[in-house]
Amino acid sequence: MDPALHTAATGMQAQQTRTDVIANNLANVNTTGFKRSRAHFEDLLYQTLQGPATLGSRDTEQLPAIQIGLGTRLTSVQRIDSQGSLEQTSRPLDLAIEGEGYFEVQMPNGNRAYTRDGSLQVSDQGVLVTSQGYAIQPPIKVPKEATSVTVSSTGVVTANGLLGATSAQELGRIELARFANPSGLESMGQNLFSETTASGDPIKGMPTENGNGRIAQGYLESSNVEIVTEMVDMITAQRAYEINSKAVKNSEDMAQTANSLMR
Amino acid sequence: MGTSVRPNGMSSAAAALRYWEHRQEVTSNNLANVSTGGFKGQKVFARMIEGALPVADGITDLSQGSLQVTNNSRDLALEGRGFFVVKTPNGERYSRGGSVQVNDSGNLTDSSGNQLLGESGPIRVASHSNADIASIQIGRDGTVTIDKAEVGRLRIETIPEKATLLAEGSGLFIPPTARTRIEPDARIVRQGALEQSNVTPISQMVDMISIQRAYTAVQKAVTTLDTVRAIATTELARPAN
Repeated sequence: MDPALHTAATGMQAQQTRTDVIANNLANVNTTGFKRSRAHFEDLLYQTLQGPATLGSRDTEQLPAIQIGLGTRLTSVQRIDSQGSLEQTSRPLDLAIEGEGYFEVQMPNGNRAYTRDGSLQVSDQGVLVTSQGYAIQPPIKVPKEATSVTVSSTGVVTANGLLGATSAQELGRIELARFANPSGLESMGQNLFSETTASGDPIKGMPTENGNGRIAQGYLESSNVEIVTEMVDMITAQRAYEINSKAVKNSEDMAQTANSLMR
Repeated sequence: MGTSVRPNGMSSAAAALRYWEHRQEVTSNNLANVSTGGFKGQKVFARMIEGALPVADGITDLSQGSLQVTNNSRDLALEGRGFFVVKTPNGERYSRGGSVQVNDSGNLTDSSGNQLLGESGPIRVASHSNADIASIQIGRDGTVTIDKAEVGRLRIETIPEKATLLAEGSGLFIPPTARTRIEPDARIVRQGALEQSNVTPISQMVDMISIQRAYTAVQKAVTTLDTVRAIATTELARPAN
């Protein structure tokens, strides 16, 4: 009865992992630019317990081959990169991307990272940074005297009130990066992602071009987690967990019955 | 096992116990894979050998699992009895779909990195830019289109009604020798959807209850047989006084 016990145990572990992923999705229901994940499973190896063999006196009576599967395992936790809804904040430096692009930021160690969280600020150095203080690339300098900073849907940053200027002046242009396989990006925490061989190299371009998406000023992208979907998934996972535990119980009961064969 | 077995009550009961254990093992595996994408449950039934020995016989239940719409352009599912063909180190294998990827040499693969085969070999997308690959389109008949250019058509095959399909794990099946191509008109490939496991927990649960009851019943039969034999050896053998 050992195989059945272990097989049912892998099923319980799978549902546990699924619940872990759902819990993280739910915890991030209000995280700007968060993308929900889902767990993928695959079946394990199969064991051919009884090979095809002839049993009995007549040749026609063949013992059929029977395969016993050994359970399930986690293959991947895939991020679902669907668009989150845009929430109006009316703060001039809140930017949301409507499309597939990512902002590129420079990490303190010189590496590049990518984010969908566009709640930007002006740093003490006078450049545009994310809420964690990482400078967006290419760097855009915002002078102290600048007033009414506007960002167009194509990423052009302009400001009024610059020294010696009577009209709005261009400060720079925000570029976006997109990936052939965004699900392959590695989550680093802090709403940041880093490129991997699975995601492919970043394809840089201007907003509204090449499917990068347009920039919406005064908006933030909400998490794409839908509470109802997650709750339904959680109920399914919990029931599946229970039913697998019943399989453990049943296998155990059968072992006990077998044990009572001999008095 | 090749030797001739002369069934008696005890050996029939032992074979029955083994049979119910196999059923429990298969049921456990079905339940463990209740959320494995593209999983096909297995069914076990008894066959009578020598008129008295029940042995387990199994088939893979190829019924359709329900489709979950993901709207992810890299998710593929099939409707009906067809299979995608992938190339693995052990030879060609059947698969019911899943997440499609592009490997280092620019070929389409399944999520484990096995090449997805088209009707004229692997499907190469290397000549296209990353941006174009991101907008890959796969039609109802398995035609793969990137940036309005057709790059190939997926091989989709099926097996005869009575043929057995052995499972290999990792969502792959070992195809039998008799296999036929499905005509493009008869295919239903769904891009942006994933097939879920076709295991229904309720029926497995009911199965498990009957397995347990049957197992206990056979155990009772063994105990009774044993009692009868004990009487035969101890009581009948005693000379009348």
